[in-house]
Amino acid sequence: MKLKAKQNREFGIFIMLVIVSAILALNSSAFLTIENFFDILKSNVVLGMMSMGMLLVILTGGIDVSVGSMIAAVTVIVGQFLIKVSGNIFYSMVVGCVAGTLMGLLNGILIAKLRISPIVVTLGTMNIIIGITLYLTNGNWITGLPQNFINFGRITIGSFYRQGEEMIGLPVQSLFLVFVAVLTWFLLKYTLAGRAVYAIGGNRVSAERIGYNLESITIFIYGYEGLIVGLAGVAHTSIMRQVDPNAFNGFEMQVIAAVVLGGASTLGGYGSVLGTLLGVALFSIINNGLILLHIPTFWQKIVVGIVLIVSIGFDVMQKRYWESHQVKVDIDEE
Amino acid sequence: MQNIEKSIYISRFRKNKEAALFLIMVGMFILMSILSPTTFLTWRNIQSMAYQLPEFGILSIAMMMVIVSGGINLSITFTAALSSIVGGLVLSKLAVSGAPTPIILIAGILTFLGVAACCGLINGFVVAEIGITPMLATLATSTLFEGICLNITRGGAISGFPDAFLWIGNSAVLGIPFPMIIFVLVIFASYLILERTSFGLKTYMIGCNPRVTFYSGVNVKRVLFGIYIFSAVLGALSGIIMASRYNSAKDSYGSSYLLQSVAASVLGGTDIVGGYGKIAGTVMAVMIIQIISSGLNIFGVNRFVINAIMGCILILVLAINTLSNGEKIAAGK
Amino acid sequence: MKARKKALLVILAFVSFAGMVFAQSKPTIVIMPKLIGIPYFNASEVGAKKAGADLGVNVIYAGPTTADAAEQVKMLEDFISKGVNAICVAPNDPAALSPVLKKAKAAGILVLDWDTPADKNLVDLSVHQIDDKVYGQHIWDLLVKEMGDTGDYAIITGGLSAANLNTWIDYGLAYAKTKYPKLRLVTDKVPSDEKQQMAYQKALDIIKAYPNLKGIIGISTPAPIGAAQAVQEKGLKNKIAVVGTALPTDSRPYLEDGSLRVATLWDPSKLGYLTIYLANEMLKGKKPVDGQNVPNVGKITVWPDGKTVIMGPPTDFTKENAKDYPF
Repeated sequence: MKLKAKQNREFGIFIMLVIVSAILALNSSAFLTIENFFDILKSNVVLGMMSMGMLLVILTGGIDVSVGSMIAAVTVIVGQFLIKVSGNIFYSMVVGCVAGTLMGLLNGILIAKLRISPIVVTLGTMNIIIGITLYLTNGNWITGLPQNFINFGRITIGSFYRQGEEMIGLPVQSLFLVFVAVLTWFLLKYTLAGRAVYAIGGNRVSAERIGYNLESITIFIYGYEGLIVGLAGVAHTSIMRQVDPNAFNGFEMQVIAAVVLGGASTLGGYGSVLGTLLGVALFSIINNGLILLHIPTFWQKIVVGIVLIVSIGFDVMQKRYWESHQVKVDIDEE
Repeated sequence: MQNIEKSIYISRFRKNKEAALFLIMVGMFILMSILSPTTFLTWRNIQSMAYQLPEFGILSIAMMMVIVSGGINLSITFTAALSSIVGGLVLSKLAVSGAPTPIILIAGILTFLGVAACCGLINGFVVAEIGITPMLATLATSTLFEGICLNITRGGAISGFPDAFLWIGNSAVLGIPFPMIIFVLVIFASYLILERTSFGLKTYMIGCNPRVTFYSGVNVKRVLFGIYIFSAVLGALSGIIMASRYNSAKDSYGSSYLLQSVAASVLGGTDIVGGYGKIAGTVMAVMIIQIISSGLNIFGVNRFVINAIMGCILILVLAINTLSNGEKIAAGK
Repeated sequence: MKARKKALLVILAFVSFAGMVFAQSKPTIVIMPKLIGIPYFNASEVGAKKAGADLGVNVIYAGPTTADAAEQVKMLEDFISKGVNAICVAPNDPAALSPVLKKAKAAGILVLDWDTPADKNLVDLSVHQIDDKVYGQHIWDLLVKEMGDTGDYAIITGGLSAANLNTWIDYGLAYAKTKYPKLRLVTDKVPSDEKQQMAYQKALDIIKAYPNLKGIIGISTPAPIGAAQAVQEKGLKNKIAVVGTALPTDSRPYLEDGSLRVATLWDPSKLGYLTIYLANEMLKGKKPVDGQNVPNVGKITVWPDGKTVIMGPPTDFTKENAKDYPF
């Protein structure tokens, strides 16, 4: 039954996506082009990758508001590494992943061992991480990254559309996103840890009684999220070709919004990689559409707020309608 | 379900948690006084803190009450901002028109409260009627309110308030700053409503388990509407104080208080999944945050480091809470 | 023994007394930016601290971590409690700071504003880096020089609530209305939240939404760079002219290939230096004079009201001279 509920949720988001895209396509000739899609993709790979990590956390009923500061710290560390130690791309990825994973593990250990609620712990670590990062860097940008790294960021795959005299392909960073999405999907579907994540989110006490080690799973998912943050930080730096410690202020809310938009329940137990990707897509297309549709600046936030309420409301009401037509009554839903 | 059991356990340890907070508060005050003896422990500084605290404190109480009901109100700061902007417009327009001052004040303040009540109504509708989870619902309404603020002000600020209005935020009665008096009144009112009425009790129940509460015959929707509206009205009070203190209304005022108010609520012992929380705890947490912030500022610590220290304190206090209680707190959010 | 002890005590008392007197004789000047932790204000910190060292003044550089007027008010209230000689503040919102500046004046503290003006009637001196009107018009002049006086253009700004950015834009738009009537602004200024990534994204969207675009103005330091990045990646640097307010070191890669045509700003470290210098002079009772030559800064202009000081004209950074600047 849970599977059917999931399918329904994703279908709802998909419908919203189609509707919004249709509105955009009809009103703007620039929307339905490969160039636009690649731009949206490139601008949102980081959001997409971080959403995968956040999905796992939200599936267990937790939340992580420190991801914005974590990725800021990772970009600073990676940037310093590239300039001062080595321009090797692979090593920079390793450094980023290690830094991210360590921070994630810190969150995980505090949550699991001290048994403090995740929003509180991550609120604390968010302040600590960004406080230290901004204090050490003073907000100064890191520029002058090694040329081979910059070239790496510019790589595109395949030839899809013409731009001037070149043929432009898929930005290389989208491979990062594909890798992370597939890895997360595989983790959730085919590994014991993945099954445990759903179990914990569904009913914590039952999961414990079945024999899952809650502590290890918790530490694992926050660490995994940290790993993804590391990769996302490297991807971001390769796109922007500079490091700005202030670039991610408020970013965590966008990640959470995208994940929850994609059907994941903040109470845990519901959510999927596909749904999250759809949520990210919906989120990014709404933002892209605001300017393409020539919506005046001072109306944009109002439009976003209304669209969010309408699309989620529609999804929720549809789910309730579907549920009220069921025979089985699920008492333990909370 | 576990939360009800926990509430029973906690009612026994209740005195412990609030007592611990009180000790921390006193301890911090002493520490800051030692660090900056001639500048922290002065009447001027205490008065200054008493001016700064209320706008944050009222927002924290507003946030805490919603958290107790099992939700969260991410739109509280933009509710305050929107109410100040519209209220400010009314104040400035009426001031120019030359109406008598009492009428201007009454009309202005009623506008503040009215706009906020509408915001609360919208929140209540989205959460209770439509049924969107509070985090996402208030995230969306927060964006909506921010958009309306920007649309009205075009990014600028509203100013031109009558002197009588400025008196609210900047004067002292018998040495006690007026905002502090408002804060004390808010504390009493919120305490009475939350911990001494059936409405408050129902709020706690909904925070523990909405479904069971519903089956017990409580009109959950009405209570939720009430809580979000009350929370928004508190936001308006904070907005009044801010508009008066800053002599203007702008969309960005108070936006940094959002996560801080969640931190204050949790530091004060409120359970983030709902069902437990004491006003006294939240108030003490607010004071702790204020004392540390002012104290370290005067001592000369870099603001970023102060942020990091606040984060550490948040985790430390909660760790101590958990470890000393020795219970297994069911995770949630 | 007793005599020696007594002598020691006397010397100790004298030294500490002298120390206290000496310490007090060094004035303490607080210089508060809009926020700390962004490169522009970091540069002004360098200048301010240097002035402190040169002039023998205690300089406290402190500000909020976000561009929050409420935070500034709080910090200023704490500094009034602490007891300083002068406060120089770059207000996030002028009206918001009026009550606290009044309190400062009542406490006998010298009040200056710098970078962004506060309430003129409250401050003792107002230090501007450039003349806002001249600056706004200059930016539009630069745009027209690059793209011509006919065609579509867009504005990417930092934040919609930033008073100084809005002032420059308003002056520029008013100027363009009369002087360059054939310029067409395609949509309201687009915010980028002071983030290059967002400016980059918005620039991409604007380019697609308005295919006849010929120019982009970026106001606030990350914005022109984000816009230039978008133009560079799309290979449109010959079609779309990007100009704006940016720091030379950050702009260099884009100036070099022409995706950013010219950046115009001033030297923030000079502004920091000037502010402390003038505050110190005022504490000594000396008001600034029009045409006065300030060491390390240059010739300043003082308006007839005696209160407004202009540091100098804006500096344009191009691919030729960008490398000469360290900020």
